[in-house]
Amino acid sequence: MNEPAPIVFVVDDDPSIRRAIKRLIGSVGLQVELFGSAQEFLLGKRPDAPSCLVLDIRLPGISGLDFQHQLAEANIHIPIIFITAHGDIPMTVRAMKAGAVEFLTKPFRDQDLLDAIQLALERDRARRQREAGIVVLRERFESLSPREREVVGMVVSGMLNKQIAAQIGTAENTVKVHRSRAMEKMQANSLADLIKMTERLQVPRGNSP
Amino acid sequence: MISTNAELTGSYDYLQVALSGLIAVSASYAALDLGGRVTATSGWLRLVWLTGGAAVMGFGIWSMHFVGMLAFSLPVPVSYNWPTVLVALLSAILSSAFALYVVSRHKMGLVRAFTGSVIMGTGIAASHYIGINAMRLAAVCRFDLRILTLSVVLAIVFSLAALVLAFDQREETRTTPSRKILSAIVLGAAISAMHYTGMASASFIASAVAPDVSHAVSISSLGTIGIAIVTLTVLGLAILTCKAARRFAAQAEELERRVIERTRQLTTINEELRKEIVDRQRAEDALQEAQAGLAHATRVLAMGELVTSIAHEVNQPLTAIVTNGNFALRQLASRTPNLQEVREAIAEIVNDGTRASEVISRIRALLKKGAPDRVELDINEVIKEVTKLVRYEATRSHVSVRLDLAADLPRVLGDRVQLQQVLINLIINSIEAVRILTDRPRELLIKSAKNADAVLIQVWDSGNGFDPEQADRIFEPFFTTKPQGIGMGLSISRSIIESDGGRLWTVPGTSGTLFQFILPTNGNTAA
Repeated sequence: MNEPAPIVFVVDDDPSIRRAIKRLIGSVGLQVELFGSAQEFLLGKRPDAPSCLVLDIRLPGISGLDFQHQLAEANIHIPIIFITAHGDIPMTVRAMKAGAVEFLTKPFRDQDLLDAIQLALERDRARRQREAGIVVLRERFESLSPREREVVGMVVSGMLNKQIAAQIGTAENTVKVHRSRAMEKMQANSLADLIKMTERLQVPRGNSP
Repeated sequence: MISTNAELTGSYDYLQVALSGLIAVSASYAALDLGGRVTATSGWLRLVWLTGGAAVMGFGIWSMHFVGMLAFSLPVPVSYNWPTVLVALLSAILSSAFALYVVSRHKMGLVRAFTGSVIMGTGIAASHYIGINAMRLAAVCRFDLRILTLSVVLAIVFSLAALVLAFDQREETRTTPSRKILSAIVLGAAISAMHYTGMASASFIASAVAPDVSHAVSISSLGTIGIAIVTLTVLGLAILTCKAARRFAAQAEELERRVIERTRQLTTINEELRKEIVDRQRAEDALQEAQAGLAHATRVLAMGELVTSIAHEVNQPLTAIVTNGNFALRQLASRTPNLQEVREAIAEIVNDGTRASEVISRIRALLKKGAPDRVELDINEVIKEVTKLVRYEATRSHVSVRLDLAADLPRVLGDRVQLQQVLINLIINSIEAVRILTDRPRELLIKSAKNADAVLIQVWDSGNGFDPEQADRIFEPFFTTKPQGIGMGLSISRSIIESDGGRLWTVPGTSGTLFQFILPTNGNTAA
């Protein structure tokens, strides 16, 4: 699979700092997009590519921490690297707890920023891959018939075929057919495989008797 | 018919003798008066008094002698050789001039007094005997040498007495009229005594030789009265003139004395005023110095509150510099450095370095201690400068700051740093007032506008305002509503604006808080 080029978003109200960061990040071959405010970033287009956000914590209109929260609420999962003129410990803790990749104090060491960006992009890449995997599994799961889904739920909860047959009022052989077809559709090689898949999909487990 | 060689017996007309005595006294009085005038005046006026005085006095002496002579009647007709009479008059005038000159000197020593009296006495005696020589009659005049000598000695002695008396009484302020009259009577009597002694020394022997009557005139008794009247009139006029002149002199002197006195008073008052002005100036200087010191202290405090903002303002360009520097180093270390980009980065480094140093300069200017330096200012420029300093303060409190500055404002006169201080103070107060707001936007508006012949600057915030009861007290020193405040900000701000000739106040009844101040302009439009 050919991955799209990663992109770094920078939000800082100081144009001089924005340009400097762009130069630095650009020098390691990364694509950079600059924004003067959080609002501008929200209005901008975000391409489908691994990305991260370098965010000044003091912004006109809204604080960087509030913006981080806003993004999470809007289900925008982008790794954030905070930069600030002077960060205190509570602020750092709050940012890190909310999932920030790094918290850098201006002026920062160039390598620290580049490392943080690499780490953030790595994380985003993994998230994307993870999200991509779940999408495939969900497609497979959705191709199951309702009965097959019901059977899978019961199988992964540890019920025997016989018990399942009794529960849903059908022949044990019929359960076997459902089960093998579901395994096939889900491309699961073993029962353990199927259990992992349903865990990732958070499929509700069938009721034990 | 009178036989020759017989001594002629003369008789005196006593009325005329009395008249001559009156003339002598009058002339003496006039002499004393004139001596005073000559002494009291100076320059050309003194010369006028001396000449006029000598003429009057000489005329008086001569007239006394002449009337005295006319009082003596001989049994032969007598006429007078008038040129000789004139010489006698001249002699009297010259000795009078000399006498006036001597008494009006600053000092009259013994030698001078004696010399003076000898010259004067001789002159008077000369006038007398020249007068007798002017007689033209059919008789020979003989003089008794002893009596003649006595008369000359008397003339000298009386002259000495006259000089001493006149010198003593020449100070017009130091004598009284009665004393002067007494002296005049003594002198007049003395002159008369001298005259009649002189007359007594002469005896007339009848002779057949007819007198030389060329240039001779005969004087009737009517003429005598005429001479007396003219003489007394002249003397009277002289005395009156002296009196008038004395009065004028006294008035002038009084006036001068008053002027001197008043000038002295005025000089004293002026001196006192000058001292008071100096004292007041000193007090004012001290007050201004104290005010400047207080302004500086509160400014330093305000800057302390701004320290985070200041750090941020410096840190921003530093961050850009470090980042650009790192970029440049990376590029130079790479095998294919992009020199164009490196050049751009270095150009930015230079810009940001300048920016940081400007921030430092601004801070240093604000922290500088010194006397206010009033210059013409563009108030909008001052507002923009201040906004740069407090920008971060507003940003981190999430306060939106709006500027509404009128174009073409006239320049105001004030100290840049102190005006910045006032604005910083008002803006920080506003930021603190809106920081607590959660239910509405945190807004701050700074406005400038022209207002008649002044410039109006408003600082408005959307905060909760303050108690109307506190409105009167917020400008009082040490009054504060802030837990950490010392309550000097508004008080010092008001004194700064007032020292620039303006006014700072708060406008009640508006939503939020509105502080405003006006500054007088000089009419010149800001460039």
